[in-house]
Amino acid sequence: MMEFISSTFTSYVALVPVTLAQSFILAFVVMGIMIPFRTLQFPDLTSEGAYPLGGCICGVLIAAGVNPALAILAALACGFLAGCCTALIHLRFRIHTLLAGILMMTMLYSINLRIMGKSNLSIFGSDSVYNWAPFVTPGFPVSKIIVAGLIGAAVFLALNWFFKTEKGTALRAVGSNPAMAEAQGISVWVSTIVGVGLASAFSATSGALMVQSQGFADVNMGLGILINGLAALMIGEAVVGKKSVWRQLLAPFVGAIIYYQLVSLCLAAGMPPPDLKLATGLFVLAMLALPSLKRGRGAGGSPAREKFRE
Amino acid sequence: MLEIRSARKVFYAGQPDEKVALDNLDLTLQTGEFGVVIGSNGAGKSTMLNAVSGALPLDSGQIAINGDDVTNTPVHLRAKRIARVFQDPMLGTAASMTVAENMLLADLRSSKRTLSRGLNAKRLADYKDRLSALGLGLENRLDTKVELLSGGQRQSLSLIMAVGGSPDLLLLDEHTAALDPRTADLVMQATVRAVDTLKLTTLMVTHNMAHAVDFGHRVIMLDAGRVKLEIGGEDKANVTVAKLVDHFAVKTDAMMLGA
Repeated sequence: MMEFISSTFTSYVALVPVTLAQSFILAFVVMGIMIPFRTLQFPDLTSEGAYPLGGCICGVLIAAGVNPALAILAALACGFLAGCCTALIHLRFRIHTLLAGILMMTMLYSINLRIMGKSNLSIFGSDSVYNWAPFVTPGFPVSKIIVAGLIGAAVFLALNWFFKTEKGTALRAVGSNPAMAEAQGISVWVSTIVGVGLASAFSATSGALMVQSQGFADVNMGLGILINGLAALMIGEAVVGKKSVWRQLLAPFVGAIIYYQLVSLCLAAGMPPPDLKLATGLFVLAMLALPSLKRGRGAGGSPAREKFRE
Repeated sequence: MLEIRSARKVFYAGQPDEKVALDNLDLTLQTGEFGVVIGSNGAGKSTMLNAVSGALPLDSGQIAINGDDVTNTPVHLRAKRIARVFQDPMLGTAASMTVAENMLLADLRSSKRTLSRGLNAKRLADYKDRLSALGLGLENRLDTKVELLSGGQRQSLSLIMAVGGSPDLLLLDEHTAALDPRTADLVMQATVRAVDTLKLTTLMVTHNMAHAVDFGHRVIMLDAGRVKLEIGGEDKANVTVAKLVDHFAVKTDAMMLGA
């Protein structure tokens, strides 16, 4: 028993830097999931397609010799467009947000294949943004942690500023009460399109950063990213809360870090990788079911809306 | 000034349960006039209000505010001129946002939203000042989320939000109906104070006959999608609840009790 614990611990510790780099990169997907779910009340699945989209675009551009930072910007722009499409499908045709997301994600799979021309593409050894990290030898996890961490910090600060501006407040109002927002002169269409677009832009950015980190792009790289992201978001919200704008914005980062450390711990303890999805799914289910379990069975059927105190 | 010209709206057109909600309705409200709309359920009061606010497109007819045709203007653009207080306290405010943020949203109703900081010190001081007029202590709860306020507090907040910035037209959609009598009275007093001080052109829908008698310059009674009766000027001063109720096709005790 002692031996198992010590060997698990040793391999876990060895994985910490790699996992940390991974969490900083994937925190952007979690952000891309959080914004529609929490800020806009627009449950969105586009990230599962936008993440590989960003990866594929970045992979193709880098293979063509484009500057890695420019490749990320291109991925970001395409992700934004994908998100805009999902929002438009929902607004124009009154299709449920989840179905609009599934449609977009399915179509993006073919588009991603078209972009790459094959199912995976190696860009190993090409220049990447991680080579620009100051003070450290390129190629090590530390350089990835620094670069992805810096971008993450910039995104956090930018969003924290934006959501407190006049425009940002209006965007949040659309998620809180669309009818009221409209009566206050806010265009629900514009806000939803920009908001969901922004979220998918983050997911695509994450894909681009991941491709540069792992040295290859794969059309299937998005498989299951959504449920991982949701799990991370829930952990983050449980730890830092969601009562204020900055807490809600911090939750994706904290959640991503903790979630991937937990995954790494499970793997270090010898859990077979194929079981991970089941474990993650059960975990998300448990987090979602917790409020209803706490209320007890009798109230289980009551509407899931928050009540206000009289 | 609000002008509604031959407004027509039919629900379920061509189906067995076809319902003519607005039947070539004509109504004009002068600038600064306070009109009170009454009528039984299904008379078309809410449809008319929704048509004016833009939430419901008309089948035919025009709506003009201060002479500008807004018939085809979407809700969020009409909001530059129209402020509205809904019947349901939940509808008029953003529950997950703070009192101050809600005030900010209303503050920016008719102006262009920029990328500058929303809640600056100057605005916060202004909101504190405006909310203190209610006497509900909301001025000390600027950072409280609106979902934690009571229905009456939320409705009072909605009202302060609506009258801020002196809209060209104020729509009140049975805005005291969901409140207990004491709170309803409080909100009504605040409404009348604001409308009088700011000389707002106001259209109020109510089921409360006492309110219809006590407040406003003109009572407008709707029936089957048209104006059945208008009482203004001298007659308005002499009208009583009993006289008003007489005009309803179907009378219920509730109307008398509302007095």
